[in-house]
Amino acid sequence: METILDGRGLARTYWLGATPVKALDGVDITIGRFEFLVLQGPSGSGKTTLINLLGLLDRPDAGSLDLDGAPVAMLDENARADLRRDRFGFVFQSFNLVAVLTASENVEYPMMLKGVSREARRRRAAELLARVGLSEKADVRPDLLSGGQRQRVAIARALANEPEVILADEPTANLDTRTADDVLDLMSLINQERRVAFVLSSHDPRVVARAQRVLTLRDGRIAGTPSSP
Amino acid sequence: MSLVALALRNVARNRRRSVLTGGVVVFGFAAIALSGGFMSQSFEGLRDGTIRNGTGHLQFADPAFFAGSEDAALEHGLSGSDRAIALLESDAEVEAVLPRIDFVGLATNGNRSVPFLGTGLDPGPEALTMDTAKLLVSGRWLGDANERGVVLGSGLARTLNVKAGDTITLLATTPEGVLNAVDATVTGLADIPIKELDERYLATTLGLASDLLVASGRVSKLAVVLREPADATATLPRLLQSLHRAGIDVAGKTWEELAVFYRQVRMLYVGIFGFMGLVLVVVVLLAAANTMMMAAAERTREIGTLRALGTRPSAIRRMFVAEGLILAAFGCLGGALLSLAIRAGLNHAGLTLPPPPGVSHGMPLHVNLYVTAYAAGAVAMTATLVVASWFPARRAARMPIIDALAHV
Repeated sequence: METILDGRGLARTYWLGATPVKALDGVDITIGRFEFLVLQGPSGSGKTTLINLLGLLDRPDAGSLDLDGAPVAMLDENARADLRRDRFGFVFQSFNLVAVLTASENVEYPMMLKGVSREARRRRAAELLARVGLSEKADVRPDLLSGGQRQRVAIARALANEPEVILADEPTANLDTRTADDVLDLMSLINQERRVAFVLSSHDPRVVARAQRVLTLRDGRIAGTPSSP
Repeated sequence: MSLVALALRNVARNRRRSVLTGGVVVFGFAAIALSGGFMSQSFEGLRDGTIRNGTGHLQFADPAFFAGSEDAALEHGLSGSDRAIALLESDAEVEAVLPRIDFVGLATNGNRSVPFLGTGLDPGPEALTMDTAKLLVSGRWLGDANERGVVLGSGLARTLNVKAGDTITLLATTPEGVLNAVDATVTGLADIPIKELDERYLATTLGLASDLLVASGRVSKLAVVLREPADATATLPRLLQSLHRAGIDVAGKTWEELAVFYRQVRMLYVGIFGFMGLVLVVVVLLAAANTMMMAAAERTREIGTLRALGTRPSAIRRMFVAEGLILAAFGCLGGALLSLAIRAGLNHAGLTLPPPPGVSHGMPLHVNLYVTAYAAGAVAMTATLVVASWFPARRAARMPIIDALAHV
C-alpha cells in the first residue's frame, strides 16, 4: 500500500512541573493511503500525542515526519496550518464544533479558509450533511444537536476540503453504544467510498474490530518494539 | 460566512458583556464629543469676546509700539494714519478700521483721583463692530469723534462716585512729558466683564484724547475688523504688504498673538480636557481589555479547534481585532446619538455657567456640534478597542494548539 505519512523515531516529552514525562519514545509509523488504522492502548500510552504529531498539531522533540515523502514536522506555523486545512481532517472526542455557527456553517468553515466560493461551499456542505444523514439539521446550531449528530457534523466538516487523512482521537468516547456504532459505520463507509485514510485512537474494542490494521501503544512505544536507551 | 461574520456572532454570543463594554465605549465617546463641543463653544466665545471687546482681528502700529518700549502715550504713535485707514478700508475683506489712542492717567471728581486705562476711539464704527457700546448700563455711548465725553467702567464710576451726566477731570502726561488736564462729561457707564478692567476702564473720543495728550493727528494703533468668516493669519501678510508698498512703515499682529488671556485659557482647557480624555481612554481600555481577555479565555478550546482546522494565527488575531472594531463601531454610533441627545437637552435648558476667575458675568452653557471632537472620539475609541483586543488575540494565536484543545 502506498505510504502517505511516514514517521521515524518520533519522540515527545512533556513536563509536569519539573518532571519530564515521555509521551512518545521513538515511534516508527507509516500510514497507507486509504488505510483504516486504529491506535489502541491504555490511557497515557501516547495515542493522542501520536495523533497530534501525525496531524501537525504538535511538533516532535525528535524524529521525522514525511507527508508524501516531504518532511513536514518542522515547517513554520503557517505552512502547517495550510497542510492541516488542505490535507487533513480532524474528528475530536468532544466534537469541537463552533458554537455560534450552524451545522452547515461548521462544515463550510474549512472551505472558507481555503477560499472556496460561497456558492460552492454551500453546495458541498449540503452534500456532505446529506451524506452523514443530517440534511434537515443544516441550519441548526450545535447546542440543539445530539452527541451523535454533532459527531456526524464533525465528520462532514473533516471531509470538507477532501482530505487525504482523517485523524480521529477517541471519536466514540462521548457517544452511547448505538450512536458509536452508527458513527463507526459511517467512518468505515466513507473510508471505502471516498478513499480517504482514517487514523483513529481508541481503546474501544468495537473500534478496533473495524480496523484494517491495529497498532498498540504502550508507554510511548509501539508494542513489541525495543525501548530507546 | 466570513471571519468578520464569525466575529460579529462572537460579539453577540455574550450579549450582556458586549452591551456593557459597548456602553463604556458609548459614554467614552459621548464624553469626548460633548467636552469637545463645550471646548469649541468656549474657544469660539472667547475668540469673539477678544475680537469684539476691542482687539479686532488685526492690529497695525509702529514696530516699536509692539515691542512694548513706549514710556509715554503716543511716543511711538502713527502719524498720518488717514492714508493707512483709507488703504485698509479699500480691502474687500476689511469690515472696519478703528483708530485707537491708548493712554493712562488719573480721573478726578474734585475729591478723589483714580488711575484709569484710557482708549481714544471713533465712536461710530466702534459701536457698529465692537461690543463695548452694548455693555452700557446707564447713559449713552459717545456721540461723535470730537465729543468731550467719556464712558467709564461701572467699577471706576463707583470709585469716583459719579454717574452719567457728571463732569470729571482727566489728567495725563503728553508724549513730551508735560502733565495736561481736560474736563469731560460722563456720557455713560459700561459693565466690563473683567472686574479688574471694569475698575479702570475709560473710553473717550479721539478728539478728546488728542487734546489731552496734545498730539493731534497721531494714533497709537489701528484695530481692523475683518468680514466673517475671517482668517486673520492669512490676511495679515497681505495687508502688511499693501501698507509697505504704499510706504507706510507699520508692523501688524493677529488677535491671537495679542490675546495672552485667550492663549492661556486655551492651554488650560486643552490641558484639563486632555488629561480627562486620557483617563477616559484608560478606563475604556481596561474595561474592553477585560472583556476581550475573558472572551479569549472562554473560547480557548474553540480557538484550538479553529487552528487545528487550518486557521492561521494571523487570522485568529484578525478575528479578535474585528470583534474589537465591531464593538467600537456600535459604541461610537451609540455615543454619537447619545451626544446629540445630551447636546440638544443642554442647549435647550438655558443653563448658565458660573463666571470664571476675574470675570464678572457667567456665560450661557452651549455645546457646539464640533465634528472634529466626534472624529477624535471615534478614533480614540476605535484605537483603544483595537489595542484592548490585540493582546488577548496575540495570546490566543500563540497558544500551542494541543494546549488550547486540552483547555477545560
